[in-house]
Amino acid sequence: MTEPLVALVAALALLAAAAGLFYPRHGVIPRWRRARQQTRRVRTEDALKHILGCEMSGDRLTVNSLAGALQITSDRAANLLLDMEHRGLLHGESDSIRLTPVGRQSALHILRAHRLWERYLADETGVGELEWHGQAEWHEHQLTSEEAEALAARLGNPTHDPHGDPIPSAEGEMAPHAGIPLISAAVDEPLHIVHIEDEPQTVFAQLLAEGLYPGMEVRLVETSPHRIRFWAGGDEHVLAPVVAANVYVARPADDGRDSVGSRLSDLTRGERGQVVEISSQCRGLERRRLQDLGFLPGAELQAELTSPGGDPVAYRIRGALIALRKEQADLIRIVRAEQAA
Amino acid sequence: MTSAAEAQLLATATAMRWEFGGNLHEQLVEAIYADAARIAERAVTRPDQEPRFDLDRTIDRVVTSRILGFPIMLLALAVVLWLTVIGSNIPSAFLFDLLIDTIYPLLKQIAANAGLAWWIEGILIDGVYLATAWVVSVMLPPMAIFFPLFTLLEDFGYLPRVAFNLDRAFKVAGAHGKQSLSMAMGFGCNAAGVISTAIIDSPREKLIAIITNNFALCNGRWPTQIVLATIFVGALVPSYLAGAAVALVVMGTAVLGVLLTLLVSWALSRSVLKGEVSTFSLELPPYRPPRILQTLYTSVIDRTLKVLWRALIFAAPAGAVIWLISNLTIGGTPIAVHTIDFLNPFGLLLGLNGVILLAYIVAIPANEIVIPTILMLTVLVTGITGVGEGAGVMFELNSEAATGAILRAGGWTLLTAISTMIFVLIHNPCSTTIFTTYKVTGSKRWTTVTALLPLFMGFAVTFGVAQIWRLVEGW
Repeated sequence: MTEPLVALVAALALLAAAAGLFYPRHGVIPRWRRARQQTRRVRTEDALKHILGCEMSGDRLTVNSLAGALQITSDRAANLLLDMEHRGLLHGESDSIRLTPVGRQSALHILRAHRLWERYLADETGVGELEWHGQAEWHEHQLTSEEAEALAARLGNPTHDPHGDPIPSAEGEMAPHAGIPLISAAVDEPLHIVHIEDEPQTVFAQLLAEGLYPGMEVRLVETSPHRIRFWAGGDEHVLAPVVAANVYVARPADDGRDSVGSRLSDLTRGERGQVVEISSQCRGLERRRLQDLGFLPGAELQAELTSPGGDPVAYRIRGALIALRKEQADLIRIVRAEQAA
Repeated sequence: MTSAAEAQLLATATAMRWEFGGNLHEQLVEAIYADAARIAERAVTRPDQEPRFDLDRTIDRVVTSRILGFPIMLLALAVVLWLTVIGSNIPSAFLFDLLIDTIYPLLKQIAANAGLAWWIEGILIDGVYLATAWVVSVMLPPMAIFFPLFTLLEDFGYLPRVAFNLDRAFKVAGAHGKQSLSMAMGFGCNAAGVISTAIIDSPREKLIAIITNNFALCNGRWPTQIVLATIFVGALVPSYLAGAAVALVVMGTAVLGVLLTLLVSWALSRSVLKGEVSTFSLELPPYRPPRILQTLYTSVIDRTLKVLWRALIFAAPAGAVIWLISNLTIGGTPIAVHTIDFLNPFGLLLGLNGVILLAYIVAIPANEIVIPTILMLTVLVTGITGVGEGAGVMFELNSEAATGAILRAGGWTLLTAISTMIFVLIHNPCSTTIFTTYKVTGSKRWTTVTALLPLFMGFAVTFGVAQIWRLVEGW
């Protein structure tokens, strides 16, 4: 019989080898596949997207900014720009580089594919928010314009990606980028979030952890060089200015909806309320299911039962008893019965 | 229309699209609901006051209360399992007596009188008939008792409250509270458990419930655990403690299965199933008196007979295979013995042996026939005389001591028994469950995962346990 110690060590070695090969992201095979994706076409398309971004935001395009965005050396970035100019995607003016119409069209297609894919991931899959951007970075290079068109049709021709960025139409038109950074907004004014920048990832993760999302009501309390204090979704948040700079807000269009609201999860047993809206953070299948169950503006409900663990809570709505988890109830805005009266 | 007007129209449409945003459909749905509500307001009258005593609400308060909620659930599960175990003994014994002790010899007699060739008789009567009869007699009674009881609880409206109470624990594991119900169903039969995942409406949680259902120790595996625990663990302690020790070990395996369910659910929801859509909603319907006749009909026809039929379809050819490998010989030795010799080194590495592995391969249609197959193969390999019914004929012994004697003669130790008990809990689901999984998911990929994930987990766990056991033993 095999010596047990030998067998154990051999099995562990085998396991370690398999992990080294297949471990997501850091394994040999995932690394090799990623390296193969870095073709010249992909780099060119990423560069186009970066240049378009500079043109839209009014930032100056430099070899260094391109090198930083693509994570390549500045020598390679300069070569890339020369190559793209040679292929008629760019033309250099006296002191700046601009996209040619051809270059602009391909850049808009990449942007459209990227944002459509993020919309798709948000609406039709269970992929987490933090992974949207990374996956879209890969799929934007795979979609042809016909495929992008089919995807848009399937998603109901969305106008904005889940971060609130406008999606360019097939003709290359795009809704204006609404909103100003939260740091430059006026104090004590009713605002709502229109856009949350998803890069860099660490900042985005922090904003997600705060529970912020496009469409959320915001009221700024205090801005100082050290911190930004504001109310959003019934809680007070404090952010560092670097982080808050990635949140864009605008004055809400006056749609007659009451902006003072609480969350469904705020109701304690026996309390009644009326639905104001389901937050835009609740998407796809989940949103449709809640609507099917009758969670629609104006619907009256009452918190009736609490599970022994405190979560989920069952609500009486339109005569039925429906249990929801806390994360879902957080996303349904209501007014309490006494407030409505 | 002129092209200028057309262009203007398109421009206006585009501008309005940006203005409206993406939720046009939703605004429509809201408007329709609002209209419906207005109409209902005009047409429907309601009593002014709520009744002072609401029975549903009172029951709900009790069964979901902090103090009584969990004891009531455990009590209900214990009663259902107890009724199933106790209640099925009598019909099981009756069916066994009828199908195997009476009809089987009768068939042999008829075959002998008719002068049937020995190999036709072997395949048909010792193989196909015996395997299917065995499956029917041990599988039918527990299912015919368990399913109606379960369906009655469901019909009464209690089960959704169980899901409501347990959702918290399953949420931590990335699963749906209703998985507690498919898991409980799995204690009866995994195939039925897989069917019952239809109540979970969220794609990701449903797949989790299907893949992990196998970790609920099913009816076909309880007896194996009890027999092995009685023979090998019961012998370790003084006889007055034996009963308690066996119960403890068997319950321990079942609890280990529940923990594995949660652990594997957690791992699945964070790895391969991460991209599947996940939603949650749980309706708690009003209570109502159970409809007993309808319940009996649906649970017997839909659940019991369907599952039994699928099991029989797989058991019949397996019976033929069991007989054939024991009777066809190459170089004078049965194929079974060749295979066992081949599997033995691998089996020993896992703390098992070749006989156990072969028994699991051929007895894939139903876990119920694993022990009889192991006994038959052990006798075949060791050449013990005086027990058993001959090559390829499954049998079971009435006394645990006699069973233990055969197994020990086959080289079983305490480690073999423990490894087997682990492997009984963690191995591929039976063919009926695999087939049901394919029917329910419609996906070869998820069916493969369901079949192979527990198998490899079982290999890994038994391997680790066996090596560490031997290391400790060697010191």
